[in-house]
Amino acid sequence: MHQSAENETCAPAKSYPRKVVFSICAHIQQREMSPPEPVFVTPAGGGSEQSWMAGLLEHPGYDEERLRRVSEQLSCREVQAGLLLSLMGQPQQYCYPSLFIYGHRASGKSHVVNVFMKDLELPHVTVSCVECVSVALLFEKVLRSFFGCDAASLLPRSPSLSDFVRIYRQQSSQSPAKQTRYIVMEKAELLRDADVNLLPALLRLQELVKDNVSVILLSEIVWDKFRPNTGCFEPLLLHFPDYSKGELQQILSTDRHPSYSAEFYSSYINILLGVFYPVCRDLRELRHLAALNFSKFCEPVAAGKVKEMDTHKLWKNIEPHLKKAMQTVYLREVSSLQWEQMEEHESGALRGLSAHTHVELPYYSKFLLIAAYLASYNPARTDKRFFLKHHGKIRKTNFLKKNEKTSNHLLGPKPFPLDRLLAVFYSVVDSRVAPTASIFSQISSLVTLQLLTLVSHDDQLDTPKYKCAVSLDFISAISRTVNFDIVKYLYDFL
Amino acid sequence: MGVLTCAAAITYKPLQRVFFRQPIRGDLQSKAEVVISDSAELPRKSRHFHHNTFRFFHTIMSKRKAKDAHLPIGECINQVHQILRKRFCHQQLPDKPEGLEAQHKHLVELLKRTAVHGESNSVLIVGPRGAGKTMLLRSVLRDLSEETEVQKNLLQVHLNGLLQTDDRIALKEITRQLHLENVVGDRVFGSFAENLGFLLDALKKGDRSSSRPVLFVLDEFDLFAHHKNQTLLYNLFDVSQSAQAPLAVVGLTCRLDVLELLEKRVKSRFSHRQIHLLSTLTFSHYLDRVRAQLSLPDGFPDGKFVEEWNAAVTTLCEDKSVVEVLQRHYNSSKDFRSLHMLLMLCLSRVSVAKPAITPADLLDASRLCVADAKANMLHGLSILELCLIIAMKHLNDVYEGEPFNLQMVHNEFKKFLQRKSSSLYNFEQPVIMKAFEHLQQLELIRPADSSSAKTQREYQLMRLMLDHGQIMEALQKYPQCPTDIKQWAMSAFA
Amino acid sequence: MATSSFSRGCFVFKPSAKKKKMAVGLERYFTHGCEGSESSEVRFKICLDLWNKVKMETEALQDELNRNILDSLLEFTRKCSSTRDHSDWASQMRASEIPTAALVLGVNVPDHDMTFQSLSDLLRHSVTPHVASLQAKECAALKHLMKRVLERLMSTVVAVGDEEEEELQQTDTELQKSVHCSLTALCDWYISKTKKSSCSTPGKKRSSSVVDGQHQQPPVVIIFKDLEAFNPRVLQDFILICSRYIQRLPLMFIFGIATSPSTIQHMLPNSVSSLLCIELFQSLSCTQHLTTVIDKLILTSSFPFKLSGKVMQVLVSIFLYHDFSVRNFIKGLQLALLEHFHSQPLSSLCCRKNEARLNVQQLGPADLERIRQLPSFKRYLKEQEEQDNLMTDDAHLKDLCQKLIKDLHKYHKNYYPILRCLHCLTSSLPRYPLGKQIRELHLICLEKNVWESEDYQSAMKLLKMLAKDELISLLQTCAEVLQPVRSKKMKNALVQLEELLAKLKLLDAAAEVGPSVEENLTSPVRNLQKKTDLFQLQKMLLEMNESRRSKRMSPFEILRNEAVEFVDSLVKNHLSPPESKPLYEVCYYTSSATVRRHLNATPRTSIQAALSSPYSYIQELKERGNDRRMGSDSVLVVLVDQNQAVYCGVKFTLRLSANNSLKTEDGTVSNAAPDICIAYKLHLECGRLINLYDWLEAYSTVVSAAEGSNPDSDGFGKVDEVKHARFIRAVSELEFLGFIKATRKKTDHVARLTWGGC
Repeated sequence: MHQSAENETCAPAKSYPRKVVFSICAHIQQREMSPPEPVFVTPAGGGSEQSWMAGLLEHPGYDEERLRRVSEQLSCREVQAGLLLSLMGQPQQYCYPSLFIYGHRASGKSHVVNVFMKDLELPHVTVSCVECVSVALLFEKVLRSFFGCDAASLLPRSPSLSDFVRIYRQQSSQSPAKQTRYIVMEKAELLRDADVNLLPALLRLQELVKDNVSVILLSEIVWDKFRPNTGCFEPLLLHFPDYSKGELQQILSTDRHPSYSAEFYSSYINILLGVFYPVCRDLRELRHLAALNFSKFCEPVAAGKVKEMDTHKLWKNIEPHLKKAMQTVYLREVSSLQWEQMEEHESGALRGLSAHTHVELPYYSKFLLIAAYLASYNPARTDKRFFLKHHGKIRKTNFLKKNEKTSNHLLGPKPFPLDRLLAVFYSVVDSRVAPTASIFSQISSLVTLQLLTLVSHDDQLDTPKYKCAVSLDFISAISRTVNFDIVKYLYDFL
Repeated sequence: MGVLTCAAAITYKPLQRVFFRQPIRGDLQSKAEVVISDSAELPRKSRHFHHNTFRFFHTIMSKRKAKDAHLPIGECINQVHQILRKRFCHQQLPDKPEGLEAQHKHLVELLKRTAVHGESNSVLIVGPRGAGKTMLLRSVLRDLSEETEVQKNLLQVHLNGLLQTDDRIALKEITRQLHLENVVGDRVFGSFAENLGFLLDALKKGDRSSSRPVLFVLDEFDLFAHHKNQTLLYNLFDVSQSAQAPLAVVGLTCRLDVLELLEKRVKSRFSHRQIHLLSTLTFSHYLDRVRAQLSLPDGFPDGKFVEEWNAAVTTLCEDKSVVEVLQRHYNSSKDFRSLHMLLMLCLSRVSVAKPAITPADLLDASRLCVADAKANMLHGLSILELCLIIAMKHLNDVYEGEPFNLQMVHNEFKKFLQRKSSSLYNFEQPVIMKAFEHLQQLELIRPADSSSAKTQREYQLMRLMLDHGQIMEALQKYPQCPTDIKQWAMSAFA
Repeated sequence: MATSSFSRGCFVFKPSAKKKKMAVGLERYFTHGCEGSESSEVRFKICLDLWNKVKMETEALQDELNRNILDSLLEFTRKCSSTRDHSDWASQMRASEIPTAALVLGVNVPDHDMTFQSLSDLLRHSVTPHVASLQAKECAALKHLMKRVLERLMSTVVAVGDEEEEELQQTDTELQKSVHCSLTALCDWYISKTKKSSCSTPGKKRSSSVVDGQHQQPPVVIIFKDLEAFNPRVLQDFILICSRYIQRLPLMFIFGIATSPSTIQHMLPNSVSSLLCIELFQSLSCTQHLTTVIDKLILTSSFPFKLSGKVMQVLVSIFLYHDFSVRNFIKGLQLALLEHFHSQPLSSLCCRKNEARLNVQQLGPADLERIRQLPSFKRYLKEQEEQDNLMTDDAHLKDLCQKLIKDLHKYHKNYYPILRCLHCLTSSLPRYPLGKQIRELHLICLEKNVWESEDYQSAMKLLKMLAKDELISLLQTCAEVLQPVRSKKMKNALVQLEELLAKLKLLDAAAEVGPSVEENLTSPVRNLQKKTDLFQLQKMLLEMNESRRSKRMSPFEILRNEAVEFVDSLVKNHLSPPESKPLYEVCYYTSSATVRRHLNATPRTSIQAALSSPYSYIQELKERGNDRRMGSDSVLVVLVDQNQAVYCGVKFTLRLSANNSLKTEDGTVSNAAPDICIAYKLHLECGRLINLYDWLEAYSTVVSAAEGSNPDSDGFGKVDEVKHARFIRAVSELEFLGFIKATRKKTDHVARLTWGGC
């Protein structure tokens, strides 16, 4: 692994300029081939197409000035924005009862929608389904933002869907919608966990409340996973494709450091993408990484050792650093704060969270844990061989079945009853231990520490079953402290 | 004979009523707006009035078409959107139920018998989603409501299985819709039946001893069958059988097996009258329907534009490519809703710049409709995630669909890396884990068993939610997909 | 971890506001039926204030130990809340993260509460008024979690909006308006709050004075006390929600982690943990904590009350083997203290010196008699010649006691400093012949004469091989240890030590022959460090002695031997075990068995003992009953602490009259035993599954034999209703005790839950 990492670090150094050129031309291609998505066809009819590619949304019924402002904020999302706008139609016209917008994380779904809603000042409410711990919250929020607090106060305690619809109806009959009202629901996948009728009802809300309202669902999950088994009103599906590498480049380059030139920053972004793009295309992640590593990148420039244009040297400087970031920052092993501090005082030895796996345990707890590990990774029938003093002449060959070639460490821990745990425990622990109450309480406290997991129901009379939930290196570290050679006792390593 | 009279009524009565109003009205333009102004939430009476004025104006304006002025193109487009959106999004009723005349007639008969002669009835309207059940019912009610005696006689109660999720709520809703809250006050009832009986008695008029006929419309009928003991259904059917009060129960459902859901005692009280909307329309009819849906009413202010538009629509429907696209849609589903979705997408492209629907629009729209969402999502994955998916695919091929866990997948992936000996994608376990989590988040893989919290994440058994074809398709579409990965995916042996 | 339950005594010290009145009642409870009740009031008083002293000491210690980690934590919170409103490029980029402190506290969960308590207090005082701390068991679902947070922060009633909260809603008064359970409510509340506080409420001047910079925006701290126990799903959702509000609401989390920080990675998927900006804080390990506690409480002459070696051993091993809980260790100490004063009449002398003098004067004839019976005192007398008047003359005895007590105190005064000296000399030697921790050395010294042990010899040998610089530094530390002690012995010991040091210092100023010799002398010790097995070591030592004998000793070596001899003499004088001292029973609590029984109960074994040999219990009951002059129920109280189950076991034995015919030659079932015992013995003979009917038959034969109906009568062994009922009862009792359980497999069978048997 290590040496491979090294030759990786040195290899691109030679191939680096080529890389840049390649990715840039890729970028250009991306800009030219107008539909980046075959599914996603630009509308025929030249004029509008021009306008979309120019990033200028235009639609009757909206104020041009606002539209311009909106389209400035939606870089690389012109096509989707245009389509969405045209579907929404003019404010006072009807929109399709429910739209379902799906696409990857940070592909601008809620950004586009919210920008529309806010800057075009459409009557709307945005709800994140994570927050709606109870439907009451949802109803209350919708009513409040459409008809004001007094309408929300009409809701009874623990309201039903029918209460909501009733109140909505009477409110909207008093103040009918002059413009389409929008209910935007983020993380819509959570609606499936809510009441069964909620999702179908929302999808045909327009029809139920007889008002010009339409529901926009945003999710990362495809619609097929939503459809209830008896079917429902099908929403209009819109896909927001992921940003292409070029688009990422373009977007990331926008938030540049004030004190450096734009092309310098974009070259930095280019290097960054070179490292992380194969692993991660999440805009948010990349932005985070870019922000953290930039200071390191421009260190030599600030020191005056390297020219801004000398990308080759800069690459050499930053590349290993980024590799390290891949293991630490990307996984949030170290906090961004620590990372930056580490940059300030150049201490390479930075231990991530998973580096601190050492746990201090009482002596017997250690052995209990070891016993649990053995019990859950060894087949029960091999205990005889491992723990009996004179188990006769059982060689591995003749108690190993051929079909068990897949190692237990691939399949994971198996559950075991309490008796077996104790039996193994008594055979591995050196001194003889009285079965005191505290031994049993240690088992249960190991469970609460999540080093063991209780798989069957927790009833002492019905012999409970446990699983060991620690990794191999963890347990071997533990057993080293009580100098017990666990590998000798593991079936997989015979 | 009754039919004849009422048919006469339909043609005759409203006209004269309109004539009386005619002089009061202002100039045509304003009237056009009155007509077009959304009639959805106006009370039924006035809607019916509107509807008739609407018709009436058609006749008048067809007379005056010669001398009515041209509207600016923008205004026309605006009107087009207005009308068509109301049609596609808001399910505005067509003037006559095309394709469903028989069912329509049948239902009218049935309900009239309740409304006029006070017979009790119960009927189920069964048909797939979007087949026009609601539309049928509503048009029937509209036609019924043109008869004065029906109008002043018949009471209607509309319940929806999505909203009235249990009988307590349903009963409250019934009371409310019959405007009997004050009559009931805070009286307490022993049983549901008692309560319902009381409500029906309360409808008795002072002079006659016969109580007014009530029409119960149960949308999503099958959901009511899930209520506890099916109390509501039982009582409704019971009343409708024993001639306590004239009562018509109309249930709308998309489940053919709905009768199986009913308990025996409920089923026995139901008059097994069903109206099936298994649309048997041929492709030519389908084409006609498309044309009808797209074409503008001749009530449109700018006659010239209408002619152009409708001509364009007809040509569109004769276009070769369009026809085959529609053929595809016809084969997949014949219902209104999916058609509306398709046409809505086309309509959204209509703008001042291109004031007609081109075949291209239709093609794009259909492509949007039939796009495979999962393939779309796969396109957005990072290379690492794609590799994992391929590894899973191989595992599936080897162990014929047995669930797998992260360890196995990683193992598989490592095998590939060793064969390729290219350290390019050589990542730490945590990075792999993160990618794996992302896949799970997108529900491209799903835990095999429910007990997810219990086990460690790397050992949790998963299933792949994609099939061979999807993966391959995604690989083809994937931007800059490395060839060796492609080959790996192709290779039959893992 | 180990739930240690106490006999009635411990309830004395339940912390209670109205101490005075409580104490009286408890004192009666204490004195009621304790040994030598005449002096009990005094003992109770002494015991009480000793314990209070211990408690204060420990709390002070706790704060002391937690200080630095808490300070760093506070620092972190300040930094986070201050960087929030910074507007430099980088911090803008990570403005979306929630600052999180991962506080690793070790597995001794019982000790955590104090830490969190002091932490939240500190936070409230110096950083922010808004602190909410959560426990896993009160946050089963997300809405409960939210509810708790909002309630703790806003101190209002929060409507979750589902049924089980509903009646709660009706009950509580309407003057507190119930808020909707969402973070938006919290945001509004917070904004209004900060608005108010910004116009200088008098309420928190302290905080505003401490951190004026960001007091406009004090962070909202949420403490998760036991992270492992939380439901991951709930936690994830909560974090997701919070991350949406982080711009408006300066939230920050504190995770209390028992195992290791990597649990965060295990619990939260990366998509969630990427919303946190985690900083790690390691608290010091509980073993260090224990050492300090022992250092302050045990190894000091300020507490007259002492633990014997065995008791000490028990407490320490419970700590090391079972639970790393310091709190439980203190509880053990408390128990020992209580038991000592409760059971030892002479413990009235176990107090500070001059009080002890007075108490000696108060001693009654009975106490004096007890003194005469003390083994240590007898031993002492043997050494003395004139005994007769001591045996008769009380006044003389009292005077003697005065003296002896005084000596005992002196002994302690000198014991601990020397112990420390010896420890700091030997603890750095290779292979720690006398143990790494000072408590080990202490245990050795308590057991027997240290200087007779092998390890001590080898330690001394090693000392004799030290290089000069090492020796000097060690001796200096010893000097520092001796410095503060004020007793004349120690004073002149110190003087001698100083002289030695002075000479050594002079030495290197003088003849420079040293270095060459020292080189080849220091080297063996150096490479001794690497040597691991004892045999090697001995060999090495031997040949060194050879080499030394061969050549004449350098002045340094002479001095060094002198120093070692000196240390040795000190040890011989002062580190003799307490048993050798007369009247040591007054101060030393010795019965380790009691402590073990109370703190490390073995329920199963005691149940089985109760069932298999009921007579032993009955004997115990009888005698206890007699000498305590108490009803049998109080005997039960004594036994309750082992297990509720034993209670039952004993109850049934009580139900039978205490005839001693229960004693049988082992194995066979005594037919006069209580029903449950008979049933138990019979079930031992069965296999995994027990046929109830056979069991009943066997039972009835045994019982009818007990009734003495002659075996050849036809009615013998017949099952009548009474027997049947008794049998059923016995079986159900066994099931309750967890020996058997009903099976679904065979209806007329029960399954055994114990294995083994006869």
